[in-house]
Amino acid sequence: MSKQPSSMCPAFGAVRNLLRMEDAMPIVISSGDGCLYGHTFVAHFYVANRPIYSPGVSSEIWAKGSAFDELRAMVHEMAEKHQPALIPICSLCVSDTVGLPFDLLPKQIGNTEIVYVPLPAYSVHTHARAKDIVVDSLVWRLPPQRKARAGVNLIGEIFPSDPIKIDEVLRKIGTHVNTTVPGPRWADYVAMVDGALNAPLHPFYSESVKRMKMKQGLPFVEGAPVGIAGTYRWITAVGHALDLDPVTVEGVACEERERVRGAMAGYPLSGLTFMVAGYEGHEFLLVRLLIEAGASVPFLSTAVNANPLARDEEKWMIEHGCTVLYGANFEDEIGALTDRSYDCVIGTTPLCAHAKELGIPSIYYTNAIATRSMVLADGATDVLALVMQTVRAKDRYERIARFFAEDETKPERTYTSWAPKIDLTSELIAQNAL
Amino acid sequence: MSQIRENIARKELSSAVVNTPIRKRVTDLDHAGGDTGAMQVFASLRDANVVLDGPVGCHVMPAVAVINYTDSIPYLQNVTCSELSETEVTLSGTLGALKAKVASATAQGRQVFIVSTPVSELIGATWTTEFAEVPGSALFFDSHSLDDDEWKSRDRALLFLWQNRDHFIVPEIRQSAASGKPRVNVIGPTYGNFNSYSDLAEMKRLIAGIGADVNLVFPFEASSFDTPRLADGDATVVMYAEYGASLAREVGKPAFFAPIGLAPTTTFLRELGAALGLAAEADAFIRAEKATTLRAWHDIWRSTHSDFFANAPIAIVAPPTYMDGLSYYLGEELGLPIVFSAYRTGPESSPNELVRETLRELSPSPMLVFGSINERMIVAQEKLPSRFLQCSFPGAVVRRATGTPYVGYAGAVWLLQCICETLFDVLFANLPTSAVPPEKARVPTKDLMREATAAVESHGKGQNSVTAWTAGAKALVELTLKRVPFFVRVSVNKKLRSEAEKIARERGVVVDVAIVEEVTARYSPNR
Repeated sequence: MSKQPSSMCPAFGAVRNLLRMEDAMPIVISSGDGCLYGHTFVAHFYVANRPIYSPGVSSEIWAKGSAFDELRAMVHEMAEKHQPALIPICSLCVSDTVGLPFDLLPKQIGNTEIVYVPLPAYSVHTHARAKDIVVDSLVWRLPPQRKARAGVNLIGEIFPSDPIKIDEVLRKIGTHVNTTVPGPRWADYVAMVDGALNAPLHPFYSESVKRMKMKQGLPFVEGAPVGIAGTYRWITAVGHALDLDPVTVEGVACEERERVRGAMAGYPLSGLTFMVAGYEGHEFLLVRLLIEAGASVPFLSTAVNANPLARDEEKWMIEHGCTVLYGANFEDEIGALTDRSYDCVIGTTPLCAHAKELGIPSIYYTNAIATRSMVLADGATDVLALVMQTVRAKDRYERIARFFAEDETKPERTYTSWAPKIDLTSELIAQNAL
Repeated sequence: MSQIRENIARKELSSAVVNTPIRKRVTDLDHAGGDTGAMQVFASLRDANVVLDGPVGCHVMPAVAVINYTDSIPYLQNVTCSELSETEVTLSGTLGALKAKVASATAQGRQVFIVSTPVSELIGATWTTEFAEVPGSALFFDSHSLDDDEWKSRDRALLFLWQNRDHFIVPEIRQSAASGKPRVNVIGPTYGNFNSYSDLAEMKRLIAGIGADVNLVFPFEASSFDTPRLADGDATVVMYAEYGASLAREVGKPAFFAPIGLAPTTTFLRELGAALGLAAEADAFIRAEKATTLRAWHDIWRSTHSDFFANAPIAIVAPPTYMDGLSYYLGEELGLPIVFSAYRTGPESSPNELVRETLRELSPSPMLVFGSINERMIVAQEKLPSRFLQCSFPGAVVRRATGTPYVGYAGAVWLLQCICETLFDVLFANLPTSAVPPEKARVPTKDLMREATAAVESHGKGQNSVTAWTAGAKALVELTLKRVPFFVRVSVNKKLRSEAEKIARERGVVVDVAIVEEVTARYSPNR
């Protein structure tokens, strides 16, 4: 039984975010070629077709300690030749264990910031945590907060056009979006020093938020403008934190709430049971949306650990019959899945594979949900439309499950993947198929 | 001229059941005529020699130029023509010109088939051999090339062979080794049939899988003298709905169409098994397939690959077998929304203008368009963001390796793989791609802040605030996004936003429609 939460190699979370930064040239110090191959493979498939730079590693190189000399030479060469805004140095398991003297690297070369990002996967544990470490490492480098401040710093993984939509609403109540992190440029982070309020939109970048609280001295508003009550609550909380005109704020909050309510009315989910498993804290928003649309969500399984940012939302979920499983792993999820029958599973790759085997319509959280906006009225419709469409495919999933089940009348409700139970060799030999 | 009109009027009327209607106007015709279809049937026979009764173009076009791009065959060695010239057309008819060709081919021991072409039909040249009753003498086939399409002509030609089955000379050495297993006829394919090499290979695998023998693959792996042997089969499989069913009916054995998709294949195997007394063997084969061939299918189905299906709208334009087969398999079984489908040929076929108009107007655009070169051109000309996948002729393609079937379980796996790979392709095209290092940092970090102070103090707003977008620009972005597939919308949205805002920042203006248009214009649809 694995005790680790289900997660991609945690370090990939960091590599991913850094590779998406337009003015960064990340260096990945891998643990070996197998490790680097994996990161390169998935990065080029999911993230960007951009070069990934690494010093070569081998047992001899580690033993001699020559990796650091090579790294230092690389950093200087890259900074001098290309002058990017950032050279993040992702130090994975072996290099972080061996303990390369990263302190000896310059903090800046010309206009380039050199940032050490410690990512020993064995202690980082989750993909989510690694993303947090990146933001934390970058926030650590920020200059002190400016005295004259305005606007809201959005913190979280959101759809690219979400800040524009949120900005539109915020302008109605007398403020605006100042910047969004993680963002595609170093300047997006530096801009945080101008903001008057930090808004972590999902319970995710908890360490970074801790650092921000230490460093910036700004008020915080948690949650996001998602769902009916969620939208109203978030807008009023922002208004309150920034001491904006309460009448205007109340008016706008009510107006947006009604728009969301109207949009959601077309997608009633009552009578349907969902299981949701995610790993970036984003799933809290989805569960809220599903419950507000009338669905029953008995379990939210999340790879994030219990953290203060999730406290209010968790309370709301418990009130609505949803148990939150923090730091959940695959076995926990399978266990929860077999407890009762579900109409739809939105979760991780192995969980969905299992659910499909049982004939339950399922979609992979990252591919399907994370590619959509969830905020305000448009976002609600976008996500709920997808959910409805998936639920409606139940017949198709059941048909396939029946076909592949050993007893074609009924799919088995046990975990049988990846290994057929019966040995078909004799049968195949009898038919000259082998 | 009156003679010509009379000849046409006397011709047997073409059947309305299977034929593609003849339209008043045609843009980019997508099927061949009766002479080509008949040639493709007869030329498939190992001992045949086809003489097209027409000018040299009627020979070179189908048997040299087109066959090279449909079947990847340099030219059909057993096809010639009567090389009609002005003299034959206007004065003497085609008889004399043909005689020499026929005599030389017959002398080499070939079974000669004379096929009429539009020109010979126009001048009323019918051919009756002087020794029609003599076995092995040349046979004349009126291909109705002015009225019938290639499919109907194939159907008629196959039936024609059966009707003349006693005419062919059986060599003495022929012997069939009987294994005692039930035997199955396979009717089709012929030359010029999209993807037929793979489909046939899969069909043979399925027949062997349930413990039966292939009796005869007709006409593709047969000689003319094998035709009577169709009677030895215990059942018949017709590869394509477009042709061969008439022959199967005449042969009179239980007949089945080749299946496309998971459930259709399972049903097919069970029914064929039952007809052959191999029901248990069919069930055992299906079970074994689930652990072998279909293992890949089940693995992909349970993978995240299949999550994209519900949001990958597709369009299909193909002849009936593939249109119906793909619609059921991709639409019903895999769950890809079919936003548009049309028959390429046959009585219900849609004109190209309609296909073009529909594809252009669809929003969102289909992510994948299955079709022929015509659809490929439409996708390119209308600058659609769709990916094109060929599933029909016309259009040059190489499909000789036998690993790309549509038919059977292997077909289900291959199509599934094909779709996933195309989706990966779409993803690749939409990811940020750059071999060049990032932009140079203009100023050090500490200077980044210095600039903004004044703005914050005077306006209460930082310079970092989100760049404003006009309502029109926002609407245009929404519209643009609606045209791209869901799973790459994040990437496209990011790209659009970052580039548009960059331009706006540089010019010190808000993002307006002109800027969004400028950015979208940089990305050609099929990059």
